[in-house]
Amino acid sequence: MTAVIAAASLSKWYGNVLGLNDITLEIEDGITGLLGPNGAGKSTFMKLITGQMKPNIGTVTVRGRKVWNNPEVFQGIGFCPEQDVFYEDVTGWEFLTGLLRFYGYARTEIEDRASRALDIVDLTADKDRLIRGYSRGMRQRIKFAQAVAHDPGILILDEPLSGLDPLGKRKLIKLIKGFRDQGRTVLVSSHVLPEIEALTSRIVLIHQGKILAQGDIPYVRELIEAHPHQISVQSSDPRALAARFVGDRSIQKMTFGPDGRTLVVETHKRDEFFGRLTGVVLEAGIEVDEISSPDDNLQAVFEYLVGK
Amino acid sequence: MATVREKGYSHWDGHLIARRFPWWPITRTGIQLAFRKKRFKIIFAGAFIPSFVFLVGLYVSERLEDFKTFLQGSDRLLNVGPKYFSIYFTNDSLLFLIVLVLAFGTGGLIADDLKHSSLQLYFSRPLSKKDYLIGKMSVIAFFVLILTALPGLVLIIFKLIFAGSFKFFLQYPWLPLSVLGYSALLTVFFGFYVLLLSSVSKNARYVLILIFGVYIFSNVLFGILQSIFRTPYMALFSVPANLQQAGAFLFGQKPPHAVPAVWSFAVLAAICALSALVLDRKIRSVEVIK
Amino acid sequence: MTAVQAVRQVFGFFGFLSRRTGKTRVFAILGLIPVVLAVVVRIVLHGRSGPMAAVFTDILMVFFLQFYIVILALFYGTSITAEEVENRTLSYLITRPIPKPAIVLGKFAAYSVLMFAMVAVSLALSYFIMNAARLSDPELYLTFLRYLGVLGLGILAYAAFFTFLGTILKRAIIVGLVFGFGWENVIQYFPGSTQRFSIVHYLKSLLPYHPTVGGGGGRGVALLLFRLEPTKPLVAVLALTVVTVALLALACWIFGMKEYLYEE
Repeated sequence: MTAVIAAASLSKWYGNVLGLNDITLEIEDGITGLLGPNGAGKSTFMKLITGQMKPNIGTVTVRGRKVWNNPEVFQGIGFCPEQDVFYEDVTGWEFLTGLLRFYGYARTEIEDRASRALDIVDLTADKDRLIRGYSRGMRQRIKFAQAVAHDPGILILDEPLSGLDPLGKRKLIKLIKGFRDQGRTVLVSSHVLPEIEALTSRIVLIHQGKILAQGDIPYVRELIEAHPHQISVQSSDPRALAARFVGDRSIQKMTFGPDGRTLVVETHKRDEFFGRLTGVVLEAGIEVDEISSPDDNLQAVFEYLVGK
Repeated sequence: MATVREKGYSHWDGHLIARRFPWWPITRTGIQLAFRKKRFKIIFAGAFIPSFVFLVGLYVSERLEDFKTFLQGSDRLLNVGPKYFSIYFTNDSLLFLIVLVLAFGTGGLIADDLKHSSLQLYFSRPLSKKDYLIGKMSVIAFFVLILTALPGLVLIIFKLIFAGSFKFFLQYPWLPLSVLGYSALLTVFFGFYVLLLSSVSKNARYVLILIFGVYIFSNVLFGILQSIFRTPYMALFSVPANLQQAGAFLFGQKPPHAVPAVWSFAVLAAICALSALVLDRKIRSVEVIK
Repeated sequence: MTAVQAVRQVFGFFGFLSRRTGKTRVFAILGLIPVVLAVVVRIVLHGRSGPMAAVFTDILMVFFLQFYIVILALFYGTSITAEEVENRTLSYLITRPIPKPAIVLGKFAAYSVLMFAMVAVSLALSYFIMNAARLSDPELYLTFLRYLGVLGLGILAYAAFFTFLGTILKRAIIVGLVFGFGWENVIQYFPGSTQRFSIVHYLKSLLPYHPTVGGGGGRGVALLLFRLEPTKPLVAVLALTVVTVALLALACWIFGMKEYLYEE
């Protein structure tokens, strides 16, 4: 399969700080999730492939063409930036039609495309309201609309689901999948694993400017499965709770916190443990104050992956 | 019955301690942010040039014999007295530099808060509107006093040191009070002036232009009106002219324009009152979206 | 899309946008001040057209030449790039299929037209109110066109300079303020060719009213033309044109080459 977006030995410095570290990557058709914690280099990579920044070393191409200072490439690219910023003194309609002017369309075509884009994101009723009066979710949707209004073959979305309510997220996820079904390439960045999981099984994990893992989510999950989950339970009688679980073969290790109220369990079968925990608590009548997973986050995954 | 709380949630049982000066963190942060701007440090350092020049003047006045070869034909060129200090404090370049420093360093004090919708963050803490404004105004006070009261008092001290006696102080014992009084006037006026314009827009760049533009425009308008009407009362339209009138009064000097100083004080007070009114309306914890 | 078409589209979009903002209204209202002054002067100097002409040149042109066009050009010129970077809207423009210089040129053109419109309306109203008694005199209209031309060239030259500053400096406003209200005012006191290192020198050289020393307009040397050693009009026009074109070209080149990082 020919790569749609290709980065070869891509590196970027901000002064003395290394933003991207020798990244070689190919993104193919379909939806690819770019996953990483804040400061990992996702936005830097997004800015490089959308020509907002120039690589210090290496190259980045879109369909074989260099991006930096090559405006023709953007005829087929739609970019949805992360920042919640707009030309605030215009309506949604004026914003879309204004930006569509830059593609060389005739007036009637601009209006058609703008109407369709507003329809897609469900903002037709609010098209004549000033953007400064839009809610957070509406602003996110109009941002998405400007990225798709010119029917690009490649969509680059930087944290598109941020600020949306669960219903809004569901709608947008459905939209993005629709674009994939039309044969377009979509690159989505996020720091929230479940959001990416809902969109695609193909991810690129990035951390400290380096690619840590690339491939299908089950493959990455397997890496996580090799490392036991930690679950911390704060209760009135942690020892009684521990006694109930000591015979459970899925539990690797149990330790007690110095406060005398915390039990920390390490297990490979997290979901199974939670299921059992609810039953045990009710059965034994133990009061539980708090349940948390100290390592159930992307940071923990990356720490494992980088061998910390 | 067992209770399970939401994952990661824990209730804080502590007590909030009331701070003696709740506005102090705002002031400290405002000053730190101003100094973080690279060119601000240069401009701020440059703003001390007038005080340095006048310090040299003080030195020359005490060492006139040494400089006589350069000053042929003059007997006593520099006569350091209240007029010397009045000229220092009311000269156009010092006032211009103060406006420049304030425009660059403090123009965004309220504008940036409006831009980032930070007012809600401030007022969700135990902080009143008064504390917020005191905190912001203290940032301006810091810079104005450092450029006025500090060099003014230092000039007096150096005059005494160069002269080698307290004669100057005994001759003009009220001079330090004049220095402090005028510095306080500049501090209060510029505090209200800058905060008024900073609250007018979320765009710090536009605010910067406003701070500078209103100051310059008022002087241009004075020039135009005076040319037309030929009355010194047109000086009341000019911000620097009013400050100079007030300064001359406080140093016991003849005002530069034939207008009673009380009118200038009234104009400056009116600007401060207008600013207080506008700030009272603009600074609120709830944002109204039209 | 060709570069010219791209410039036209950028011009259209930002021409529309700039008319919408509150700041444009504020600057337009500022332009009404000379109109109000003109009305006041007409009442005060009623029947004395000679002094009125002198008042216009000596006084109102000070407002236009040394304040209004400078402040307009400073705000709009620096905002061509600085506004997009500060507001983080630059991404919307540089991810479109338009050459980067087209963004600079299109915005420059849009803002120049807007500034010119504001200045022209203000100038026309104040000028013709001041000279209402001489409306049948064709010379009046030629003089008006000359004033308008001078201010138009001034807008272009200052805007080009501030646009250039905006592309290279993060805090272009400060440098612009120091240049516009510091350097441009102070330079008139410098002798010889030093004056030629300012934009205002060439603009003043083009003014239609040059009082002789000790006379002219019944007032002696005008404030505006204080210590002016004028350059020949043709040379002045050429100098302003070269400055405008060169600075714009530099601004386009720098904007095309430079990366603009948003402040976190």
